[in-house]
Amino acid sequence: MAIHKGRGIAAIEYPTGMNQNGDPSQAWIKVKPDGRVDVFAGTSDIGNGSKTIQSQIVAETIGVPYEWVTYDNSNTDSSPVCTGTFASRATFVAGMAVKKAAERVRERILDIAGKELEIDPSDLDIVDGEVVAKGAPQTKISVPDVAAAATWGHGELITGTGAQLKPYAAIVEPDTGKVDLPPHSAISYASCAAEVEVDDETGQVRVTRLVQCFDVGLAINPTLVEGQIDGGAIQGLGLGVLETSYPYYPSIEHRGGEFGSYLAPSMEDMPVLDTVLIENPSADGPYGAKGIGEMANNPQPPAIASAVHDAVGVWITELPITPERVLRALAAKASGESEPTRKGKVVVYDQDLSLAAVARPDAPVKLVVDP
Amino acid sequence: MKAVGARVPRYDGVAHVTGRTVFVEDFDVPGAAWVKALRSPHPHAGIAKLDASAAERMKGVRAVVTAADVPLNVYGHLSALGIPGDEPLLAEKEVRYVGQPIAVVAAEDEEIALAAVDAIEIEYDVREPLFDVRKAFDPDAPQIHEWGNWYPHFEDGYDHRQIRKGDIDAAFDQADLIVQGVYRPAAIEQLPIETQVCQVVPEANGRLTIYSCTQALYFSMGVVAAHLQQPLNKFKFVGGTVGGGFGGKVDTATETLCCLLALKSCKPTKWRWTREEEFLCSSTRAPWHMEVADAVTKDGWILGRRMITLHDSGAYARFSPYGVTKHSFHHTGAYTIPNLHFDGWVVFTNRTPTSAMRGFGVTSVSFATETHMSRIAEELGIDPFELRLKNANRIGDTSPNGVVYTDPSTVPTILAIADHLGHELPADYRTMTTEPRSGDLLPDHLVAQLGNPEDH
Repeated sequence: MAIHKGRGIAAIEYPTGMNQNGDPSQAWIKVKPDGRVDVFAGTSDIGNGSKTIQSQIVAETIGVPYEWVTYDNSNTDSSPVCTGTFASRATFVAGMAVKKAAERVRERILDIAGKELEIDPSDLDIVDGEVVAKGAPQTKISVPDVAAAATWGHGELITGTGAQLKPYAAIVEPDTGKVDLPPHSAISYASCAAEVEVDDETGQVRVTRLVQCFDVGLAINPTLVEGQIDGGAIQGLGLGVLETSYPYYPSIEHRGGEFGSYLAPSMEDMPVLDTVLIENPSADGPYGAKGIGEMANNPQPPAIASAVHDAVGVWITELPITPERVLRALAAKASGESEPTRKGKVVVYDQDLSLAAVARPDAPVKLVVDP
Repeated sequence: MKAVGARVPRYDGVAHVTGRTVFVEDFDVPGAAWVKALRSPHPHAGIAKLDASAAERMKGVRAVVTAADVPLNVYGHLSALGIPGDEPLLAEKEVRYVGQPIAVVAAEDEEIALAAVDAIEIEYDVREPLFDVRKAFDPDAPQIHEWGNWYPHFEDGYDHRQIRKGDIDAAFDQADLIVQGVYRPAAIEQLPIETQVCQVVPEANGRLTIYSCTQALYFSMGVVAAHLQQPLNKFKFVGGTVGGGFGGKVDTATETLCCLLALKSCKPTKWRWTREEEFLCSSTRAPWHMEVADAVTKDGWILGRRMITLHDSGAYARFSPYGVTKHSFHHTGAYTIPNLHFDGWVVFTNRTPTSAMRGFGVTSVSFATETHMSRIAEELGIDPFELRLKNANRIGDTSPNGVVYTDPSTVPTILAIADHLGHELPADYRTMTTEPRSGDLLPDHLVAQLGNPEDH
């Protein structure tokens, strides 16, 4: 009886935004008389940090400190449409909506500053909350003074709206799956190496380290994107070795109806997490960002399954990789039952799990591989 | 200071960790009624009799709502994408999963609400259930859905999602080896800390204020407005700060029924699912059944892939057709495979409907195809990094449905972990880039699939 170490890798890609697009997000922004900025957007923050990310985008785009921005996504009376927080779309799609709204606000600030300074707005820039003349930084007016001038002097409200929508990509050939437009906003990429220890006596798989690299396009907030990646990794670990709603799937018996009977990852399951970010900017996302919220839990299960094979020489392709499945696979391997079927150049694994093995021979659906 | 790229603290992080963030469960609208549901104990049954009159007459009961009270009981949440509706808000003639709501009660306290649920008279005509997607197509399988055992409404009347690319038969003829495997990731829970919850206040001006934990305020408002057949300005959704969702809170699980009870009783309502309901009655990530056969050459090129997917949708379609379509668009993963033959079905079973969860449609295919890649590397005796780098998609390559990749990062992400692990690679792999294919990386079988990135 021994602990066996193994390593496996996976590389994945994932789309940003709803598949086939057609999912709008909108925002509007107003500026208070002291230059403070109020953002109204309908994007729910489900813990992904979208309030923070969108506030950063607005601050950067207008040219004011992050602390000047308040963000209100609290209700549908004051906030415009956001299709929702899913499909890895909150940073990219909803982020573009607030960015476009902020660009309008910036234009309005420059217009009014131009009147105050008697300089053409195109010769002005906004830096750290101050409107400065390009090439003559001593000529300037603060954004609070511009906002005050707009309110009390010019009788104007500084505001801006923005909307992001990529048109729906229709499937024009249902026989081939061809689409008439690109069906995503961007594609993100990641790789993962999982290191495991497999106990051949208990069957337990312990994930000891996950080395991961994500192409995030551009990290609007590195701390938050690292948090998404770490959290996703643990959710992927749960999918890989712990969790199932139906312990005897496909039976519905013995579903866990409480935390005590459903194994979710906890601190004791935490592996070492090594994360590498790379930034290959998206062509049309906010500051080059891509959405990686969902894919963060995708590469671990296959990397873990490959690592288990590396450790003890068995392929377990039903998740989760429980101690019972490991022990059964080791027993099958010991008795020579786990070998794939080889016929000519065709190698067939997992025959007992297949549709062909379970469905009636006259069922209309089967995977046919002509040997 | 630059705001973008800065590690600024989370906007509401301090409030979250000091317990001062107010989530929907953290307050009670004054006078709100408790809501409880009558749920099916059977995975598949007809409803022979339903009589809520005794429950309605109970002291402390403010309202009981059944299917008869819902202006539009069946509404297709993705009808805008051409996906019609199949799921009733409240079961009418039959139930198709354990936990399916049949009636909801609003009462002065939790005990009365539970007693009222017990007082609803109901008789079932129990039917044979179907649980195994692999048996759904059998001629003698129990028929469990009005549309049959699988979703029939893809474009042009297709009953499955189909991808065809290149010449699949030629690829399999040319292959040195064909590797076939079966992959079955499990259903899991989204497992948010905050269970499904909402509160609804009928306002003096005739509007409804809905305190909601939805991940999608406008989407959920649209769902409620459609079921109630009211314009959007009848409603004010309040939310935007959610105690975890992971996809499970797109379903709009509580809001519509709480609105109906609030309207019928003219009093506020509050419905917080118990942890047991969250586990057993809310949607899960789908279980998937995937079979992959890859045609490969002995030096590690993947010439073609045949794949079949059975998506276990549970009792109703919800977002599953969307998930299978997304799955099909990504079934080559981060690689370029020029010859494809994919068929994916949305299969109905008598389990809790599955729905969106983080990675929807793709988590499954990443598991299947990446484990399969490792198997191919093992079969061929090729380093798994090298197999992946060789087939990695590059600028100018095309996706399963012909879209040109303009900025793929498969190569740099793989090289980054190899570097971090100190995994040695031959020089021609170590120096690979995302640039368009040429030389040894553009063998004959890939020439025809290249597209022009300038066109996209």
